[in-house]
Amino acid sequence: MIIDVNAYLGHFAFRRLRYNTAASLLALMDSKRIDKAVVSSSGAITYRNAQAGNEEVTEEVRGHSDRLIPFAVINPFYAGWQDDLKICHEEFSMAGLRLYPKWHNYQLSSPCCRELVNAATERGMVISIPIRVEDNRQRSWLLNVPDVPLEEIVELVKTHPKARFILLNGIGYTRCPLGRKDNGLPSNYAIELSRLSAVLANELGQLITNLGAERVMFGTGMPFNYPDPALVKLEVLDASESDKEKIRSQNAMTWLRL
Amino acid sequence: MTILQRTSRPPAPQLHVSRRTFLKGSAATAVAIGVATLPSACAAVEKPAAGTSSGLLRKGKVIDCHAHLTHRSRATWEADDRKLIEAADKLGIDQLCCSILTPRRPATADGFRECNQWTADGMRRFPGRVLGYCYVNPGYGREALDEVRRYIGDRGFIGIKLYNEYICTEPVVFPIVELAIELGVPILQHASHSHYFVEDQPRMSDGGHLAELARRYPEAMLICAHISGGGDWEWTIKALRHAQNVLLDTSGSVIDEGTVELAAAVAGADRLLFGCDSSMTAGVGKIRGANLSAQDKEKILSGNMMRLLRRRKS
Repeated sequence: MIIDVNAYLGHFAFRRLRYNTAASLLALMDSKRIDKAVVSSSGAITYRNAQAGNEEVTEEVRGHSDRLIPFAVINPFYAGWQDDLKICHEEFSMAGLRLYPKWHNYQLSSPCCRELVNAATERGMVISIPIRVEDNRQRSWLLNVPDVPLEEIVELVKTHPKARFILLNGIGYTRCPLGRKDNGLPSNYAIELSRLSAVLANELGQLITNLGAERVMFGTGMPFNYPDPALVKLEVLDASESDKEKIRSQNAMTWLRL
Repeated sequence: MTILQRTSRPPAPQLHVSRRTFLKGSAATAVAIGVATLPSACAAVEKPAAGTSSGLLRKGKVIDCHAHLTHRSRATWEADDRKLIEAADKLGIDQLCCSILTPRRPATADGFRECNQWTADGMRRFPGRVLGYCYVNPGYGREALDEVRRYIGDRGFIGIKLYNEYICTEPVVFPIVELAIELGVPILQHASHSHYFVEDQPRMSDGGHLAELARRYPEAMLICAHISGGGDWEWTIKALRHAQNVLLDTSGSVIDEGTVELAAAVAGADRLLFGCDSSMTAGVGKIRGANLSAQDKEKILSGNMMRLLRRRKS
């Protein structure tokens, strides 16, 4: 089984996405033999009211809950986020959320964000953070959104040891405490592999060595990305079949209680 | 300093027995690891490549049009080069068209000479696997031209690598382009287009510059480097639509879904070249994932590059 913890539905403000409906994404997943995917709204990245994106995703995944696992996008600086979180969890059955601190212009260390992380953790929700949405060199002339610095993630995971974080679309973990062995950090975060190298520098292999295969998860970033590069990484990875199975699906099943 | 041997053409590649089949494709392998194969990609290289009469350019070859060996100021250069070949083995890439760049630009004449000597040495250390681009800074005029003649005319390099010392439409670049035409070899031009000024690369070329250069020299064979790592790829592809003698290198770390398909639709699959530029799984994955015909993938993976290499005049 393959579970993708990094997928999306809907439109993105700056580029046309294909395979961005439930039906077309499922067809793409079928062609790649990806069984399940965690999806959130790509529109909510730039919507002022992110809850509208959560409602769109809820509509899309209806009837596909066996394969599409919806996550909420919550902006803790927007009015009514507490109500949105409650609705997403209790009515929309969203098992987790995605945070966009740079796109939504807040600090992970801010009191509002801490309150959101605590509230989500009390509900048992997983919190995923895309380190980037797209390569900054191709950004629109309208905006300049930096990647989330990994140092800010280090502080976040230290501050919230009971929370569970999945870090998406990141790279360079082995150059900071997050990817180092015996780093003194709580084991409350997992790292998704879509941007990690699996040959040459082989950051993926280093993370397995340093943190254990239990802390790495499969993800593609589809439909922003081709899913194949992530699949190829798993294929070329020098790791035991047992470790690969953890990365392909077992870790996600444990974290998402599937 | 290693003494360079004169070779007019590198020998045919020797296949590694453990090479996997990501681009050539083995359904059995893929099923065993639980992922989907793309039959079109698999079939692509099993067919005889059209016009592959040269022994060097055998059917089913996969050529990375944009690769780099490691500059020897880096202590791990030898191991890094080996890792590149090992990665190519794993991914089913037969040949890598390599250059070495100076760590800092603009390159001095001594700097690019050193790089080219090391590239030639790489061709000897990995016979048949590494093909050489001659890297020069056009600002060095006669010295740059002599270097190109030496390495392409005498030492079997397959093309010229230009970086960001000058925008490719600056007159100082023209003699290099004219020499490439004379020798019948391609120029791989570093390029990017961002919607902001890239301060550390003020003389960056983009697809528009390459289109302009192509209009000035319609007989030149130009390659626009890394459309998937050069800023706004949609802009670059559209800027090159009418520049028939510019080929688009698919390399780069960006794996945006639809990139290869748009490039094929706008420029034509005949003008796309498979490349990685060190982003190995990204390079392979985006071609494997692209929704194109087997015939088009075959052209991208090697057919188009082989067509360029056959136009060599010396």
